[in-house]
Amino acid sequence: MCGAPAGLSLDGMPTTHAFQHHGAPALETLGLTKRFGERTAVADVSLVVPRGVAYGFLGHNGAGKTTLIRMLLGLTRASAGSASVLGLPVPEQRAQALARVGAIVEEPSFYPHLTGYENLKIAAAVRGPHTRARIGGVLERVGLDKRARDRVGTYSLGMRQRLGVARCLLSDPELLILDEPMNGLDPGGMLDVRLMIRAMVEDEGRTVFVSSHLLDEVEKTCDVAAIIDGGRVIAQGSIAELVADEAGELVIECDDPERALMVLAGDPAVRDLRAEHGSLRMRLVRPGHAGEINSRLVAAGIVVTRLEPARRSLEDRFLEMTTRLEVAA
Amino acid sequence: MTLDLTVARQMVGADMLRLRKKRGMIALALAAMLVPLVIVTGYDVVKHASDPAHYGPAGGLNSYGRLLDLLGVFMGPVAAILIGAEAGAGDLAAGVFRDNVLTGRSRTALFLARIPAAAAVTLAVTAVAYVLGVAATFVFAGGLATPSLSLILQSVAWLALANSVVCVIALGVASLTGSRTGTITGLIAWELVLSPLVVQAASLGTLRRGLLDAVLLFLKPGPLTGPPVIPMAVAVAVVVTIAWLLVLPTLGAWRMRTRDA
Repeated sequence: MCGAPAGLSLDGMPTTHAFQHHGAPALETLGLTKRFGERTAVADVSLVVPRGVAYGFLGHNGAGKTTLIRMLLGLTRASAGSASVLGLPVPEQRAQALARVGAIVEEPSFYPHLTGYENLKIAAAVRGPHTRARIGGVLERVGLDKRARDRVGTYSLGMRQRLGVARCLLSDPELLILDEPMNGLDPGGMLDVRLMIRAMVEDEGRTVFVSSHLLDEVEKTCDVAAIIDGGRVIAQGSIAELVADEAGELVIECDDPERALMVLAGDPAVRDLRAEHGSLRMRLVRPGHAGEINSRLVAAGIVVTRLEPARRSLEDRFLEMTTRLEVAA
Repeated sequence: MTLDLTVARQMVGADMLRLRKKRGMIALALAAMLVPLVIVTGYDVVKHASDPAHYGPAGGLNSYGRLLDLLGVFMGPVAAILIGAEAGAGDLAAGVFRDNVLTGRSRTALFLARIPAAAAVTLAVTAVAYVLGVAATFVFAGGLATPSLSLILQSVAWLALANSVVCVIALGVASLTGSRTGTITGLIAWELVLSPLVVQAASLGTLRRGLLDAVLLFLKPGPLTGPPVIPMAVAVAVVVTIAWLLVLPTLGAWRMRTRDA
């Protein structure tokens, strides 16, 4: 699917690692708010999306993801707050900003009676005079070069998603904003999109902002993420930070869990000690106590096969945070 | 400036591509003009062949006048409405409007590119029907007089004006309403039913000069074969035509600029 090898551009121009990641963030919002009458769809959102990363924007359906994207792209006006795209304030300098952005909002739409190539030709005409030369390259890049002369009406959803990404790439954008790019795709299609996003970030130096409700995919695809719920950003940071267990839970696997449980029982540095699915789980009073725990077990003749901080999935973390908010409400 | 012109040319070309590739619509537009033409001409040919003493040849100057009515007053505008409505709201129907807006290109530029594209496709379709109609006029003329070169040139200009104006109006209405079906239904009803009735409503007097149909009939060259012509000054005809050309497309452009993408 990722047809262009790293180091080569789509039109013979050097683009790989062409985007220098200095200066303003790719996206920045400050107190961005959108109200529809009495209902607040996005409330006081402040985000900083650094350049050169895959940034996940996570939230349930209706959490405000698309509304925020629409404000960033100048499709709808914010009720309050400010936003900038690639350092340019929007909507004031929207045209200049969007010339360097490729975006898919909701789902990519095309003229079904035209071929994939013809649809890109129309998009290229709107983009500018030098864009047309890139059509062949971007079609190859997304793996649609063999179907380029077929009518889009005959394309599967996955192919339309890929054609949407190809349309985004026509202008060789520094920033891609993809709204739910994996919606409706089968596992193979999701993998294609994931690999494509990673290649765009790692090989080409682009910034990719991905909104999704598919937590597992965001965890696998993105470097940094923000979680939005009820129009508010409730957490943001690197994926590692988001899934890190702040409570310091430790998981131990060994040859004799029952005896290990007895050895550690009563240790004042250990709390919430329990056996779960053949392993031991506990919270440590002092974070650096894991080594001592290992020594005690080994001294007791127990073979420790695994000892590591408990790692929750992004899904666990997301559900924990959003459920906490629901309870609080 | 050169860059802007290049982009404008490309955008017009892109709009022409999406219109001319809409084969069902092009076929319908052609059929709207050709089917009545074939029926009327065929009927006249059969009548003349069966009773030449009572029925004259199917071609000649008189049938040329009817051809102009068909292509410039009745079915030509229908074809123009079909094409204009597609040009004005086709991107909304396909969902591509948002993607075009996301390029950062001005919405006014997107709107303006549609006008020459839609007009060009309308003129191409009209030209096909006109060439066939003129051929029939000459082939079936028998001993009757045929249109002169001067009349043909005037007719071509008039047909181009009539159908382009209707096409641009349809484009404006479609951009304003965002609905192809609504635009086609409403404008065809106006063009084929309401407007001809109003043009003939003598009680409205000079108010009828404000109707596009009245102006186009006034400007129509050649023999009088169709609805009655309302006399007016050429300046009035020009002003009314410009007003129709400006008002609805301007409203369409305004709606396109303000529409939530």
